[in-house]
Amino acid sequence: MRTHYAYSGSGRESEKLFRFCDGSIQDAWMSGSWDVLVDEERQEHCRAMSTALELRHVSKSFGGFHAVQDLSLSVPAGSVYGFLGPNGAGKTTTLRMILGMLSPDSGELSVLGSPSAMLVRNRVGYLPEEKGLYSKMTATSVIAYFATLKGLSSARANQRARELLGRYGLGAFADKKVETLSKGMGQKVQVLASIAHDPELVLLDEPFSGLDPVNQEVLEDILVDLKARGCTILFSTHVMSHAERLCDRLIILGGGRGLFEGTVSEARSLLPIRITLETAEGSPTLEILPGVHSMEAQSSNRWRLELEPGASASAVLEACFERSLRLRCFDVQDPDLHEVFVHLVGPSAREAALR
Amino acid sequence: MRNALLIAVREFLDNIQTRGFWFGILLVPLLWLMASQVPLILARKGTPTRHLALIDATAGERLFDVVLHHLKTAESRRELFHFREWVAPRLKSGQALPAADKQPQAWSKLQEDLGPLMKVDAGRFAPPTPLNRLVALPPELEWRGHLSEFEGRLRDWMREERLFKPVGVDEEVPLFAVAILQDGPSSNAPPILRFWSANQADTQLQDRIVDALSRNFRSREYSRLGMDPSTIAQVEASQAQLMSFNPRKAEGEEQVGMADLLRQWAPSAFVYLLWIAVFSISQMLLNSLIEERSNRILEVLLSSVTPLELMTGKLVGVAAVGAVMTLGWIGSLVLMTFWTLHTAGAAALAADSIANRLPLELATLLLDSWLLPAFVLYFLLGYLFYAAVILALGSTCNNLKEAQNFTGVIALLMMVPLVSIAFIPKDPNGPVATVLSWIPPYTPFVMMNRVAANPPLREVIGTLVLLLLSDVAVLWGCARIFKTAVLRTGQPASLVQLARWVLGRD
Repeated sequence: MRTHYAYSGSGRESEKLFRFCDGSIQDAWMSGSWDVLVDEERQEHCRAMSTALELRHVSKSFGGFHAVQDLSLSVPAGSVYGFLGPNGAGKTTTLRMILGMLSPDSGELSVLGSPSAMLVRNRVGYLPEEKGLYSKMTATSVIAYFATLKGLSSARANQRARELLGRYGLGAFADKKVETLSKGMGQKVQVLASIAHDPELVLLDEPFSGLDPVNQEVLEDILVDLKARGCTILFSTHVMSHAERLCDRLIILGGGRGLFEGTVSEARSLLPIRITLETAEGSPTLEILPGVHSMEAQSSNRWRLELEPGASASAVLEACFERSLRLRCFDVQDPDLHEVFVHLVGPSAREAALR
Repeated sequence: MRNALLIAVREFLDNIQTRGFWFGILLVPLLWLMASQVPLILARKGTPTRHLALIDATAGERLFDVVLHHLKTAESRRELFHFREWVAPRLKSGQALPAADKQPQAWSKLQEDLGPLMKVDAGRFAPPTPLNRLVALPPELEWRGHLSEFEGRLRDWMREERLFKPVGVDEEVPLFAVAILQDGPSSNAPPILRFWSANQADTQLQDRIVDALSRNFRSREYSRLGMDPSTIAQVEASQAQLMSFNPRKAEGEEQVGMADLLRQWAPSAFVYLLWIAVFSISQMLLNSLIEERSNRILEVLLSSVTPLELMTGKLVGVAAVGAVMTLGWIGSLVLMTFWTLHTAGAAALAADSIANRLPLELATLLLDSWLLPAFVLYFLLGYLFYAAVILALGSTCNNLKEAQNFTGVIALLMMVPLVSIAFIPKDPNGPVATVLSWIPPYTPFVMMNRVAANPPLREVIGTLVLLLLSDVAVLWGCARIFKTAVLRTGQPASLVQLARWVLGRD
C-alpha cells in the first residue's frame, strides 16, 4: 500500500526536504507546488539514511512568555546530539514538544519520520529532568513496567530489565525496592527504564545531573553502547565536557532560540584560536604574520596572538619558520565549548539570572 | 487499551500491597465482631459487682426488706436469662426450651428439671457475678440516728474514695452507693430515697430502688383505699397489642416482623460501606496521582501513553482495589454471619431469641434481595463520579497539601449523604429523600438507602439515567482538565481556568 504524506509550508522548509531527499521530490518541488508528496517507502528510506529528528521553525508560548521561538534543528540518525543551554532556555519545552506532550504553536516536527512522537512512541525513550520512580516497586519490575508500556511482552520486559541491571552493575539490586536504592542508583535504574525497550531515539534531559564521577562514566558507557547499536541520542546538559566528549552535533539554545547548531569543532571555530608565542630575541614584526587578528605583549619577548576566524595555527608557525624566528614557546589554545557557550549565551543568561 | 490495562494492573497491585489497604479490609469485620460480641462478653463477664449500703431511716423500718427483696428478684431474673442463653446450645437436638415462667425461678432447680433434655456433656452452669451486693457500712460510718450528722461523715468518707473490706467480702472494695430510705413529708406521701453515689451516670440501681419503693407504696395505698392489689396488678399488666402491617407486601405476609425492620435498616449499613469505600479509594487515587506528579513519573508515562489511557488505567485500577475491598467486607460479614449461626446451633434458633435470629435474617437478606446488586451498581457509578473529579482536581496540584484544599470541599459535600443515613430509612419515599435522589453526586448513597422501601420505578430509572449521564459528562470534562493540567507546573489552577480547560478555550 502506498500512503502519501503531504507537507506544506514556506519555501525554506520545502528546500530542506529537497536537500535530503531524492530527485522525485525535487521534481515535485520544482513543479511549483507548495505541497510536496512523499512516498512513504521513500520517506522511510530517507529517514534511515539521514535524519532521526527534525524541527522546522517551531515556536511555543505560554501566555505572554515565549518559551521557544522559531527553532529549527536536525538530528542525524545514529548520532549523539547535545542540547545545550542555560536554565530557562527552552530545553524541556522543546523536549516535551518532540515527545508530543505539548503541541507547538507553529512550525513542524518530524520524529523518526512521523509528524508526532505519539505515533512512534514505542520507538522513543525518554528520561525527564527531575528523576523519580515508584518507590515501592523493585528495580526489575519498575524497568519492566515501563518497557511493557512501550510494547514489550511482560516476560521479555523482565528479561531485558535483569539483563540491563546486570550489565551496568546493578545486578545485586535487581529485587530491591526502589526506595532502598541510593539516589545515583535510582537514577541509573531510571535511565535503564528509558532504554529497556531498545528505542531508536532516546531523549535524555540532564542525564548526568546528580551522578558522582564514577556513575557519570557508567552513564557515558551506556550512551556509547546505545550509539554503537545505532540508536540516536539527544541529551541536554550543563556540563560542557560531556558534550565535547560525546556529541557528534549540538545545539546551543538561549532565550528559546537556537544560537548555534553544528559539530563541536564548528562550535569551537566560532571563537578565534589563541597562540602564546615566545621568541629568543625581542620585537619581531609579528603583525604581518598571516591570519593574526590582534596581538598583546605579555613581556618583552612573549606575546599572545588572537587569530582571525578560520585562520590556522600551522600557517602562523610556518610563517615563523620562514622568517627564521627562534621560538622558545609556541602554545596553541583552541577555544573550548565552555568558552563558546559563555560567549553565545553569556549576556542573555546573565540578564535572565538578574531579572 | 493495552496500556490502560497495564496501568490499571500496576495501580491495583501497588495499592493492595500497602498495609493500609489490608487494615481497611480487616477493620470492618473487626468492628462488626466487636459490636456483636463485646456486649455479650461484657454481659457474661459482668461489670464488677457494685457494693451498696442500705439504711432504713423510716419510722416503721419495713422498707429495708422491700428493697432487699426487689434487688434479689432482679438478680435472679438476670441469672435466669444467662442460664437460658447457656442452655440453648446445650440442648439435645430436636429439644426446645420450655416457655419462660412468668415467675423467676432459681436456675439450679431449672437445671435439674431440664437435665433429661440436655446433652450429656453439658456441664454445670456458672452464674454470672452479681451486679450489686448489699453490704454493711464500715464502723466509722455507723448510723447513729441523725441524718445530717451521718451524711456529713458520709460525704467526707466518700470524697476520699476510700476502699474498705465489708463483712463477707474477701477484698478491699469501693463503696458504690449508700441509699437512705426516708419517710415522705406526710403520712400519705410516698417515701424518699436519698441516694449517695459518686457515679451519677449509671441510674440503674437508684431506679430499681425507687421502683421497689413506689410499688410497695402503691400497693399499700390500694389496700388502704380498699382495692385488691392483685386485681390491680393484673389490670396494670394488660397492654394493647400492636400489629404492624405493610400494604406493599404479599397477602398473608403483611405483618411487619423483625425481618422487615432489618430490611428497612440494613441498607443504611450498606450506605456506610459505600461511603467509606468511595471516600477511601478516591483518596487512594489522589495519593497515587500526586506521587506520580510530584516525582515526575507522569512525564515518563505520558511519553508512552496518552492522558486518556492514563486516566482510564488509574480509574479502572483503583476501582478494582475498591471492589476487592468491598467484596472483602461483604464476604467477611456473610462468613461471620454463618459462623455465628453455626456456633449458636439450630436449637438456638428454635429458642426464637432476637439475638439468635438476627444472623439468619441478615444472611437471608444479603443473599435474597436487591441489596447486593444495587450496592455494586451504585458503588461503580458513585465511584466514577467522585474519582473523575478527584483526578481532575488532583492533576492541577503539585503536592498533597495543595490537593487537600480540594478534597476538603469534596469531603464536606460528601457529608450530606452520610447525615441523611439517619433519617432516610424513617421516610424513604418522602420529599427530602426524593429531592436528594435527583442530585447526581448523592444519588448512589440516597437510592442505596431507599432500595428496600420499593421507591417508584420511574424514580429508580430516572435517577439512574441522570447519574449515568452526569458520570459521562463529569468524565468528559475531567478528562479535558486532566489532559491540560497534568503536565503543568506552578500554581494550582483557578476555577475560571478549570472552566476554560473544560470548554477548550485555553
